[in-house]
Amino acid sequence: MANKKVSKKDIAGLLEQWSQQFAVLVPSKESGVAAMAEWDGKDTSFLDWYRNTVVPPKASFLPPMEEMFRFQKGEEGYNIEPPPKAERNQLIFGIRPCDARAMAILDMTFKQTLEDPYYLSKRNSAVLVGLGCTNPYESCFCTSMGTSPTESANVDLMLIDIGDEFLIEEVTEKGKELIAKTKGLKEAAKDDEAKATQSKKTAYDRVTRKLNTEGIKDKLLASFDDEGFWEKTAAKCIGCGICTLLCPTCYCFDISDEMVKQEGTRFRSWDSCSFPLYTKMPMENPRQEKWRRVRQKVCHKYEFYPMTFNVIACTGCGRCIRLCPVNWDITRVIESVPTKTEARK
Amino acid sequence: MTVADTKQNFFAQGNVYLPHIAVIEKIIEETPGVRTYHFNLKDEKLRKEFTFESGQFAQYSVLGTGEAPFCISSSPTRRDHLEFAVQKVGKVTNALNRLGVGAEIGFRGPYGNSFPLEALKGKNLVFVGGGIGLAPLRSLIWNVIDNRDIYNKVDIVYGARSPADLCFKYDLEAWDKDKTVNMVTAVDREAEGWKGKVGMVPKILEETAPSAKETVAIVCGPPIMIRFTFPVLEKLGFKPEQMLTTLEKRMKCGIGKCGRCNIGNLYVCRDGPVFSYAQIKDFVSSEY
Repeated sequence: MANKKVSKKDIAGLLEQWSQQFAVLVPSKESGVAAMAEWDGKDTSFLDWYRNTVVPPKASFLPPMEEMFRFQKGEEGYNIEPPPKAERNQLIFGIRPCDARAMAILDMTFKQTLEDPYYLSKRNSAVLVGLGCTNPYESCFCTSMGTSPTESANVDLMLIDIGDEFLIEEVTEKGKELIAKTKGLKEAAKDDEAKATQSKKTAYDRVTRKLNTEGIKDKLLASFDDEGFWEKTAAKCIGCGICTLLCPTCYCFDISDEMVKQEGTRFRSWDSCSFPLYTKMPMENPRQEKWRRVRQKVCHKYEFYPMTFNVIACTGCGRCIRLCPVNWDITRVIESVPTKTEARK
Repeated sequence: MTVADTKQNFFAQGNVYLPHIAVIEKIIEETPGVRTYHFNLKDEKLRKEFTFESGQFAQYSVLGTGEAPFCISSSPTRRDHLEFAVQKVGKVTNALNRLGVGAEIGFRGPYGNSFPLEALKGKNLVFVGGGIGLAPLRSLIWNVIDNRDIYNKVDIVYGARSPADLCFKYDLEAWDKDKTVNMVTAVDREAEGWKGKVGMVPKILEETAPSAKETVAIVCGPPIMIRFTFPVLEKLGFKPEQMLTTLEKRMKCGIGKCGRCNIGNLYVCRDGPVFSYAQIKDFVSSEY
């Protein structure tokens, strides 16, 4: 069966149909910062300005702050109530392939051992509609990290820019069912498929930054105690945490309580291994020094995650490079990790 | 190590993060600053169904203040109540300290792996503890004593800064009287009226010199004690696989999600808290 396609000027109509069933989230700007936010019902100007969001789409599944439960203290003791379930499932429109891959990477952590009900209830019910990149940033290096600007592996539907229209690739059953119910789509012609192939190649070639990750897990293991290397690597880092908070594969969170009179809430909020408080215990802190925290960040992504899940927890989205206030660059760090023989010296 | 059994769960309302309510039944002042809490789950059905193994931990809440992880310090062989012991050092432990008998706390767990009882059968056991680090060991020690004939020789080397800092004095006395157990108690410095050994735990262990043959050493105490104990055990001929420890880190979730308790690729909550030295020796020098 041939792929469908949709005209760019009909995107509003498409989103309107989907809004009947889903909470549709699209790239939006709030105070100038791009993030996925609920569609306002008319604006599709993101099709012109959107390259990628500053806040990664993980925020729709692991919100920066999330209620875990409420509690009341009454005469019979404490009563604990989980938060109400969201009324509508989410449809994320326009997720980039790097960020969709990041969701698959996050799933591994939230599914393993004991499942995380807050993340998974949102994640399992969501539809991801990918939008292929045409204009990657200089800081992007997705093609070195097992994905590409138009990779469809981790979305339900993938839209490929073919000029005035998008070609729609139906990736999962969930995606196919949605398309079957969607009105106003056209059949793609042979010519459209050719345009899509060309569009993918052009996008791929535009990702010029490359990173060689061969053997990185073992190199990092051998360099773990190379304090000199880590001190040099951490030297200019100011520990602001942006590279972790806005990383699409970072998931660390803190848990806190708030209570006023007899009622309270327990909530979780994004946390970062860049902060000394993150590991601080009353009597000591295993990562008091900055270089230990920077080492944790790098090793977690390129050594520990591969050891546990057999995948590097980085998708080359380039946010940590673009958003770093002091131009710390993960690709340069990874390239400078000493080889085994150097590290032994 | 025994891998955490994911089927064994006691979720409140089907949600791993929701605590059960537990009631404090007794408080023991162990030392100035250290208390043992005896408690039971409020729900009667759950109280009967609840099981755990020596070495596992749980998350305890003072609702409104927060949650913190502590091991279950009682033995599963003694089940009319559960116990945990804490030092008053942080936000949650200070809030706990303000609670009295009858107060309600949040409880979720048990989490993490446990001491490998099967592998310890028929072995000589050397327990090495410092300060409040005896808490997780005593769960296993009582477990061993209650099943005494399936284990071989038992040595316990335990120390604290001063006689006043010795925790679980009632246990120390009981083990001292127990003829099937060799109990060595020490304090760091000479103290008036102290008749036991004097010196740091690693040094006392070296003097006690237990044989490494068919022996497993189980170590818990402050990180600095743990770091200095491993080399002594190596000197006594113990292999990294024969040394077990149970570790403590800052934790929030308790189930391998929130990120902070890792040592290398291992999470203390998910892969521990019980580790063999073989598992952690690559990272322990600079991460613990």
